Amino acid sequence: MNERLERMKRRVRAHEHRSLRQSAPIDILAECEAENLSWPRRVARLVQRQCEAEQVVIDPDEQIVFTRTLPAAVPPVYSSEDWDKLTAGRTLHELGPVSNICADWGLLLSQGLLGRKRVALEARQRLFNDASSVEFLDCAIQTIDAVMGLAERYASQARTMGRDDLAGILENVPAHPARTFHEALQALRFCHAVVWLGGNYHVGLGRFDQYMGPYLQADLASGRLTSQAAEDLLAEFFISLNKDSDLYPGVQQGDNGQTLTLGGVTPSGEPAVNELTYMVLRVAQQVVMIDPKINLRISARTDLELLSLATELTRLGLGFPQYSNDDVVIPALAAHGYQLEDARDYVVAACWEFIIPGRGMEVVNIGAVSFPAAVDCALREGLAGGEDFDQILERVKTHVRGQVERLAEAYSRLLLPPAPYYSIFMRACLEQGRDLSQGLKYNNFGIHGAGSSNAADALAAVQKFIFDEHDVMPDELLSALDSNFVGHDPLRQKLEEQGPKVGNNDPAADTFLVKLFDDLAEACESQPRTPRGGILRPGTGSAMYYIWLASGHEGMREPVVGATADGRLQGQPFSANLAPSPGVRVRGPISTLQSFSRIDYQRICNGGPVTMELSDSVFRDHESVRKTAMLVRTFAQLGCQQLQLNSLSLDTLLDARVHPENHKNLIVRVWGWSGYFCELAPEYQEHIIARHFYDIQ
Amino acid sequence: MTTGIVFDIKEFTVHDGPGIRTTVFMKGCPLACSWCHNPEGQSARPQVIRGLAGERLAGQEYTAEQLAALLNQQVSILSDNEGGITFSGGEPLLQAEFVAEVIDLLDEVHILLDTSGYGSKRSFQKLLERSDLVFFDLKLIDPALHQQYTGCSNDLILDNLKTLGASGMPFVIRVPLVPGVTDTDENLAAIARTVNGLPGLIRVDLLPYNQAAGSKYQYAGMEFKPGYDETRSLNINLMPFERSGVKVCVA
Repeated sequence: MNERLERMKRRVRAHEHRSLRQSAPIDILAECEAENLSWPRRVARLVQRQCEAEQVVIDPDEQIVFTRTLPAAVPPVYSSEDWDKLTAGRTLHELGPVSNICADWGLLLSQGLLGRKRVALEARQRLFNDASSVEFLDCAIQTIDAVMGLAERYASQARTMGRDDLAGILENVPAHPARTFHEALQALRFCHAVVWLGGNYHVGLGRFDQYMGPYLQADLASGRLTSQAAEDLLAEFFISLNKDSDLYPGVQQGDNGQTLTLGGVTPSGEPAVNELTYMVLRVAQQVVMIDPKINLRISARTDLELLSLATELTRLGLGFPQYSNDDVVIPALAAHGYQLEDARDYVVAACWEFIIPGRGMEVVNIGAVSFPAAVDCALREGLAGGEDFDQILERVKTHVRGQVERLAEAYSRLLLPPAPYYSIFMRACLEQGRDLSQGLKYNNFGIHGAGSSNAADALAAVQKFIFDEHDVMPDELLSALDSNFVGHDPLRQKLEEQGPKVGNNDPAADTFLVKLFDDLAEACESQPRTPRGGILRPGTGSAMYYIWLASGHEGMREPVVGATADGRLQGQPFSANLAPSPGVRVRGPISTLQSFSRIDYQRICNGGPVTMELSDSVFRDHESVRKTAMLVRTFAQLGCQQLQLNSLSLDTLLDARVHPENHKNLIVRVWGWSGYFCELAPEYQEHIIARHFYDIQ
Repeated sequence: MTTGIVFDIKEFTVHDGPGIRTTVFMKGCPLACSWCHNPEGQSARPQVIRGLAGERLAGQEYTAEQLAALLNQQVSILSDNEGGITFSGGEPLLQAEFVAEVIDLLDEVHILLDTSGYGSKRSFQKLLERSDLVFFDLKLIDPALHQQYTGCSNDLILDNLKTLGASGMPFVIRVPLVPGVTDTDENLAAIARTVNGLPGLIRVDLLPYNQAAGSKYQYAGMEFKPGYDETRSLNINLMPFERSGVKVCVA
């Protein structure tokens, strides 16, 4: 990166721009109440007032502008009493506002906000006697005008400052269609940031190389841009995404869902990799910041050149790209009711889930089934009752199903707040006069199965030691679990060291991994359509559940599980996503991929990666980058679904805990996202250190 | 059925040989190099390793069939990725019968023999004819120094090197550079003279001393007595090799 960009990055990392932030959020409650506005009108008013309250910030270094000056708190549009009344008996997802879906940003770039406004006006004429449609469209138009107003203030300030180059761009976008790569990036920066201002979060960037690629192509072809100038613009855009991310809600800082997806195939099935695919990977290597988080769609036939370039990012320890296997994902989505063209257009949500930009109002993570809890309950009941192993397995299935039913029941009462602004960038909302919260083409829910390896290992140990070898008595195991193995250390060691383990390509353990997910799939498939008309998609991610299920959290419906039959002590975290149980010795990544390739991903289609840590010593030489690329290709060839590959040095992490001041820029992958290690809570730091990593000589 | 003792199986060993490889570390080594960083490979018997994360037993007995079946699960993946199986140690020649039997039971795959060269001619021949590539360690050419630092004579090693040279098999010479011991100008020149002109020689790899060599000893219940100054700077002298036209790399 050139000196200007380095300077911008340094200043963002030093948080200089944060001094420009306003100290208090705006207050719009009084006017909402005085005018007795409807909910959609309140949300539109919120977006409008937020845009009006934004102060213009143009740094002399910047060619792409917008710096958020409003604080993190989004002002309420209802008093707490009214809010309680409005939501009584209903389920809110996480913080409430629509989150973790993806817009079709191509609509913005190709039509401009004015183009979208024309669509809204046309629909308003057509739907004039449908009051709720008219209201929605008025709200959408109100927010369009607000964003254009904000852009106009930026434009006129740029003029005043003598930045005619910038003013020219801001006078065209986001109101009109983008004419250049530069304008397209600027339009996206504005309109993406405003989604956050309205309280929506985990706002994805979608198929960036697909909707942005043509602008780059045209500029390079016409000579308007050199490749270097284009890379500089892209780097600046990436840096800008890191400015406000501390204001975005998430479980931990960095968990903000600013993801983008590259590669794969076009809706018609042609290879989609283009010049921008490569450029994004190259530029991310120079920028080295946590946003945007990159997902790369690959297949068994993806060439090693692209995979090697992507591996260079892994080598830097960024924790991305994350890989999704089109060969597996697309047919699975198609088998779950997605039109083939849409399935081919999938992107990865904030963490792992597969969603369709512009067409999905899906809640991809309504919660997690706790496999350890299901197995623990089944073992306790079954062993105490003298049942055989098959009966215990039947109990596991029943408990998994019970958990799924409870989640589905809670979410049958889901209440989604209106999001008129976000709806502008969705397919058919304006045309049909319907807010996205009323539903889009796809309205499914996702449920993940968490702690799968520990639960499978526990079943494998019970089968081996109690039922096959008659080596351990049921009572002995139960009392050992109750006492957290105090006084039962030899038993614990036997379970831990001699039990079959997921990750070693050992059918004795993998069978149960497969079975647990089959149970989950069956439970989801047996559920009726949701009131929103969708299905339940089972998945393999585990987000924060690997810690919450072990140590408890107010957000959890399932009970905390104590010591488990795989020899795990109470309080120790469970496996994250798809990974061997923490602390289990495995031979390495090949066997681990083979173990996880056994899962039936045509049924388990919500997403959730095989997660592997490679020691940074792997990357001593150039040849190892190519070999790691081969490992990624092997993941696809084996038919696994998703892969998250991290590189980390244990020594560095340990040192960072003692001397955080020396490691401010140390980036780690946490679950579905990357963050700065020194900005994570201690328990997350601990788990990253303890997490299984492959020590390669 | 022959059985063997393995102290580790590691997949995706990327720095030892072509492509994606899985390395089988055979337990037991006749040498006792004072710089050895794999002390759990020395004893031929299973032993307890007490690490920070608790105890574990290093050394598992396999029948040739068991080990071959385990490896055959992934042979096609390794072959598809320009790699194969590496037999290392410890010293694979010490369990040559077993290793040969395992290789005979493997599906078609590239075999790399990573050896100290210390073993009977018969053992060496047996594994050589089953290998596709050999990594051959040369530490010290001076017989007295070799005896002093490894506890063994280098007669067998130099004999096997002749056999290797005569076989036409492609091979790489690996020289651990230990400060003041193997990195002397005299020793490096002697190594260059010894290997120069051997058919099949691909290159010489100089492996700089690993300061963490002693780190595993306490966990294996052993004492690390290097017998040289670990902190002394290395003499990485490529001249003797370059002068005689031998390709040399520093790993």
